[in-house]
Amino acid sequence: MEEISDKDLKKLSIDELTHLFVDNINEQNLILIEGIEFLADEKFDKFTQNLKYVIETNTEVRIKKTFESKIFKSKLMFSKADRLKLFNKINDIKNIGEYLANRLLLYKVVFPDKEFKLQIISIMKSLRIISNDLAEAIKNIGTDLSKAHDICEDIKEERRKMRDEEWKLLNRLYNYDMDYLSRTFLYLKNLIEDIMMLADHMKNFSEYIQFLAIKYLIFK
Amino acid sequence: MAVNTLSILVIVLIILAIALAFSIGANDETLSTLVGAGVLKFSLALLIGGIAVGAGMFSFSFAFVAKTVGADLLGEALVYTDFMLLTVLISSILWLIIGSFAGIPLSSTHSLVGSIVGVVFVYSFTQGVVNPATAFNWAKLNNVILGWFLSPAFGLIITFSLFRILAKTYLSRLKGLNQIERSEKYFKWFLLVAVIFAEIWVGANSGEALGILYGLLDNGSLNFESYLLFAFFCGISSCFGIYIAARFVVRNLASQMINSRPSEGLITQLSSALILMIATLLSLPISHSHVIVFCIIGMSLAQKKEIDYKGLGKMAMYWILTFPIAAIVAGFIYLGFNSFGLT
Repeated sequence: MEEISDKDLKKLSIDELTHLFVDNINEQNLILIEGIEFLADEKFDKFTQNLKYVIETNTEVRIKKTFESKIFKSKLMFSKADRLKLFNKINDIKNIGEYLANRLLLYKVVFPDKEFKLQIISIMKSLRIISNDLAEAIKNIGTDLSKAHDICEDIKEERRKMRDEEWKLLNRLYNYDMDYLSRTFLYLKNLIEDIMMLADHMKNFSEYIQFLAIKYLIFK
Repeated sequence: MAVNTLSILVIVLIILAIALAFSIGANDETLSTLVGAGVLKFSLALLIGGIAVGAGMFSFSFAFVAKTVGADLLGEALVYTDFMLLTVLISSILWLIIGSFAGIPLSSTHSLVGSIVGVVFVYSFTQGVVNPATAFNWAKLNNVILGWFLSPAFGLIITFSLFRILAKTYLSRLKGLNQIERSEKYFKWFLLVAVIFAEIWVGANSGEALGILYGLLDNGSLNFESYLLFAFFCGISSCFGIYIAARFVVRNLASQMINSRPSEGLITQLSSALILMIATLLSLPISHSHVIVFCIIGMSLAQKKEIDYKGLGKMAMYWILTFPIAAIVAGFIYLGFNSFGLT
């Protein structure tokens, strides 16, 4: 993502800073998802490179600091807390992503079989859709709350589909003829659960966006 | 000016009236919407509000609500004695203090008029020179009491209607948060104008302090020039009341209002100001707190929000009880004075 100088950052509005922040975090999310797909394909170098990028990138910190200094000076009391909460929820995605990346880098796993790989890739596809939709919904809060609300419905639907896949995957994992205290088992179990955690946060986030839409579109 | 010739009792009454004006300012919560919306810096908001209340109180002191409380509620043959005025003050202040300690929201207007009714009844019965049936200007008293019921009802209706119109014609067209924030930035300045307007009429309708002074004018204890001077002091006192003491009430309420939009505050304040203006021009003392509570209910109904009917019922019971209890308390206090030959 293109670097923006501090001076230019300060010129941006609260909404524009939120857009920039969400683009930044979404980009990192997509790199994380791609990294997990590399893991499934046993491309460990690319996997490591992607996940290290997620952990080491901190361009969003400058955006966060600029946003915080602006929001505390904002005179729009009625929306101030919501704007801040929105921003913090985006930041939580980064935190969860970073946590996931750190855990995944602990070990290089080889997936048990092709079916497992395909199911992981299918889940990653859903996660990518959710991540992109969430970024789109967040960007629409400023301009079209109804649209943001509708996009969040799609996110919830995608999450539902994804959850079914995750249970199938866990079921598959628990039925392999495998040592249940082995690193491979624990790693794969954690991988699935961490992906679920990230997806759950995004789903909860989308519900918060719907709450905002209802709150601000009370007269519709 | 005839200050030297004033009796100690009259001086006490004047001081109490000025203190009452201070407490009117101190209990005024009108500014909380303005502070909650972040329109002005806190101290500046208090200063502007204080000046508006003081100006409203003084500008309408020559007649209107002050005249109603200080003279027009009584029958033609009757004027207040200084002890009657003292009793009215003691009784209404006492009842308000009890209410404050018990955590019951009470109306100072209801308390004052109730006290007047209690004192006048006892006076007419004990003195024997006035027929209790003609001791009151019944038409005026009925209008005042009718105003207490009509003003909250109209507050609710006006707020509901104005907000529905605004929502339908403008607010519902706003699609995103950016648009909402931009429009609310303008509403903030309209809110400032509405709050100043409301504060002027809050001051103008606060007949408690000026009513006592008007009673002194009516019974000849003060001449018109002295009355205007002390009315001016009352205006200044209410201004100080807001600036010095209302900051606690305003800060507390403002912190609970930060989620409400300036457009909502604008409609609520505008409606209550309109009601207060009409009541003042009709010389009817009404309760500002009752009006504002019903304006807020009107706003909630317009937004289809839940209303705490249980809390409202409890509040309504205290509002209804204030008038008779203040009357009884005042009657007993005045009987006490009478027993010492102080009439």
